[in-house]
Amino acid sequence: MASVELKGLTKCYGAAVAVDDVSLRVEHGQLVCLLGPSGCGKTTTLRLIAGFIEPSAGEIMVGDKKLSSPSRTVPPEGRNMSMIFQSYALWPHMTVAENVSYGLRIRKLDKVTIDAKLKAILTTARLEALAERYPGELSGGQQQRVSLARALVVEPETLLLDEPLSNLDANLREEMRFEIRRLHDQYRYTTVYVTHDQAEAMTTADLIAVMNHGKVEQLGPPEEIYSRPRSEFVARFIGGSNILAGTALDASRLTIAGAPVRTTGRTLQAGKPVAVSVRQHEIGIALESPASGADNHLRAVVARQVFLGSARDYTVQLDDKTELRVTAPPGQNIAPGQTVWLHLPADKCRALAED
Amino acid sequence: MTRSLDLSRPVLIAVAALLAVMIVLPVGWLVVYSLSDKDGSATLGNFATLFTDPTFVDPLVTTLIIAVSVSLLCCAIAAPLGWLVARTDMPFAGSVRTLVMASLVTPPFVGAIAWEMLAAPNSGLLNQLWRAISGMPADEALLDIYSLEGLIFVIACYTFPYVFILVANALDRMPGELEDASSMLGAKTWDTARRITVPLALPTLLAGALVAFLQALNLFGSPAILAIPAGFHTLTTRIWSLFQFPPKPELAAAASLPLLLLTVLLLRAQAMALGRRGYAVLGSKYGEPRLIRLGALKWPAAGLALLVLAMPLFLPYAALFNSAFSRVASRIISFETATLHNFRFTFLELSSTMPALKNTFLLAVSSATVGALLALLIAYIVARKAVAGHRVLGFLATAPLAIPGIVLGVGLFLAYTRPPLTLYGTLWILLIAFVTIELPAAYQQLSSAFHAVHPELEEAGRMLGATRLRTLADITAPLLRSAVIATWCFIFVAVIRELSAAVILFTSDTKVLSVLIFDLKESGDVGAIAVLSLTMVAITTVVVAAANRLGGTRTAGRLHARAVG
Repeated sequence: MASVELKGLTKCYGAAVAVDDVSLRVEHGQLVCLLGPSGCGKTTTLRLIAGFIEPSAGEIMVGDKKLSSPSRTVPPEGRNMSMIFQSYALWPHMTVAENVSYGLRIRKLDKVTIDAKLKAILTTARLEALAERYPGELSGGQQQRVSLARALVVEPETLLLDEPLSNLDANLREEMRFEIRRLHDQYRYTTVYVTHDQAEAMTTADLIAVMNHGKVEQLGPPEEIYSRPRSEFVARFIGGSNILAGTALDASRLTIAGAPVRTTGRTLQAGKPVAVSVRQHEIGIALESPASGADNHLRAVVARQVFLGSARDYTVQLDDKTELRVTAPPGQNIAPGQTVWLHLPADKCRALAED
Repeated sequence: MTRSLDLSRPVLIAVAALLAVMIVLPVGWLVVYSLSDKDGSATLGNFATLFTDPTFVDPLVTTLIIAVSVSLLCCAIAAPLGWLVARTDMPFAGSVRTLVMASLVTPPFVGAIAWEMLAAPNSGLLNQLWRAISGMPADEALLDIYSLEGLIFVIACYTFPYVFILVANALDRMPGELEDASSMLGAKTWDTARRITVPLALPTLLAGALVAFLQALNLFGSPAILAIPAGFHTLTTRIWSLFQFPPKPELAAAASLPLLLLTVLLLRAQAMALGRRGYAVLGSKYGEPRLIRLGALKWPAAGLALLVLAMPLFLPYAALFNSAFSRVASRIISFETATLHNFRFTFLELSSTMPALKNTFLLAVSSATVGALLALLIAYIVARKAVAGHRVLGFLATAPLAIPGIVLGVGLFLAYTRPPLTLYGTLWILLIAFVTIELPAAYQQLSSAFHAVHPELEEAGRMLGATRLRTLADITAPLLRSAVIATWCFIFVAVIRELSAAVILFTSDTKVLSVLIFDLKESGDVGAIAVLSLTMVAITTVVVAAANRLGGTRTAGRLHARAVG
């Protein structure tokens, strides 16, 4: 097993650039998520790693072997990788056992070894009872487990997953997220996981690469992506954040709707426009006005509120008509139309990079 | 609100009765005749003759040999060619696909005539060419099309496109992930093809083999042109010969029944082969399957494909054009010797050309109109479950599929040479034959068009206050228009080239183009045959092109259906 490294990976289709100079290192045994909206280049990146397509520029290294470069690409069958497809791609003319043992038979292992490995993986994936069924006779979740078992049984150096949960219903999706993470912890393959679902990425990944327009916008552990988004795109895509526009006053402060707000993150340049992200549940909401002149307090009017059971979701409007979402404790009930004071803690207001 | 008279019940009964008459009457008379002797008393003697007399047993055996060989040959050609076109980076793959489909425009008996021009032992152009190159003496020949092998080859030429289309479409629809998943697990290209692609395509190939088998089994034109000069019969030509003087309709009826039974059985087998394995593959936006790189084999593959295409397309048409523009058919023309003599003769001097063209057009237009309307009515009743018992109609409308053209010809001959409806000798009997033969395909085409228009589209109209009729006019009809026109064109073309039923049912006043070409064979007027064959192909091509254009616009209807479905 080994690390996977992308160096300046680029893929163009005519004038269109699908993957634009992506560099990324996945250490041995790590699970990295490529996260982004459709068309951001994440699936193309995965297919480049799999060897289905050739890069226009850059290279892909696994360990110290160069697998892809514009001049030479090792075909998919020579890479010792496994892949889980969005549609599972189970062969309808083979039983579960035949599907799962296919890779072992291709590797020409002897029958005893094949049987032993098959039995072990079917047990791990809880599929023993279904071994003689055809894929058409399985439920979506069962098909998904077969496709996992088929990919894992060959003990690949690298495991690739292409939106593996998008065809499952919500309950099953949550269960399979943990299942994938459990199997990953058990086998510790170097794994690249493509998804557009941020919750899926948060729960499974060691490292998330948020992609947009073929580029990696931000690379980091889930906590960092969540709490310290570097750009407006990342903040919006991860969700749960308000993006506020203002003008910088000095190196660390700006005005939003006329009020001074202290920020963290990058150093500001006085007079320049700045975007700030602050999470919905990190904003305090109160009826009492703060001590005059205090930073990071904004006046607003409640436009709507929705009771969600475990929380109350407020939509409020600042003096300049900017709308904000605030998640407040369920007991804090303020009627629409009332004037409130918002507190945006300085260490939660992240100044975002200019796009 | 006034309640209009409910016409649905009488309409159902009328249509069902009509269909029953169309099918039950000829088949019924077939059975009755096959069990009667010359004087009309009951006997099993016809079947005894059928299975003991070598003049019946030999054609039966020959027909089976031909059908098996054709179906094997078709698979052997169509499967690799379909794979090359659908799954590899072979150059000109798109053109090859189009040309294979275009070769279907050729009526099989025209192809047989063209191959006669190419490979008849003495006058065949290829044989002449070979003698010129190799110095082979004039009384020997490289190729002899008047042989069992020759007949099998010619039938396969015009049958393999059906298998090709089935295989290529199946490979197109096969999701690319299934092959990619195999590559990811370490299987080499060849392993993936052998273990994944081929097994998945196998049910389709089996169905294709059955299609080819049926085609070869029931074909009349090619064997009539090639087998009879060679001195042997197939089942269809033997049945036809029983209508030559002195006619023996009882034996013809008895000989038709095995053909009918075999066809019914094979159609059932085909439905099973295609229907059994449900592919549990979810649709995804995965994209096109990867094309396999042939590398150095790229150009040899394209060469091979062109060589295959030469057989049904390039060579026969070269021969037809040569004969059409040449005063002596067996000589290769040059610019100096090219002449329009044959065209002048065919259209101005040959007295039977114009009546035959007139009959053909009249029958094609009326059959297409009647057939399309009937199919539309049945498809509507069945698709919208307009009346109870609608399933029966669907079954009746597809039943003629199992009746070979020549068998239907015999049945109709027996049914309508007697009072109360003595239609033999009129164009009506040909109209009935053509509508019956083409109904299944027309019905299937329109029924799938109806299924593509989601009922919710109609229901939405009715919710907004439109009546059932108004909804039909405003919503269903515009969405179906192109499908109806395409079906009309389809029947038109099929009628123009129909030979096997017409050859039993025509009289000197009701000769159609195909029968005229077949008749001219006896007088050996090769130039006129070539001109008429090319005329027929030209008409067919124009109409098929029009139908394809109209068929293409149907995607609008499908899109709607998908959006709501």
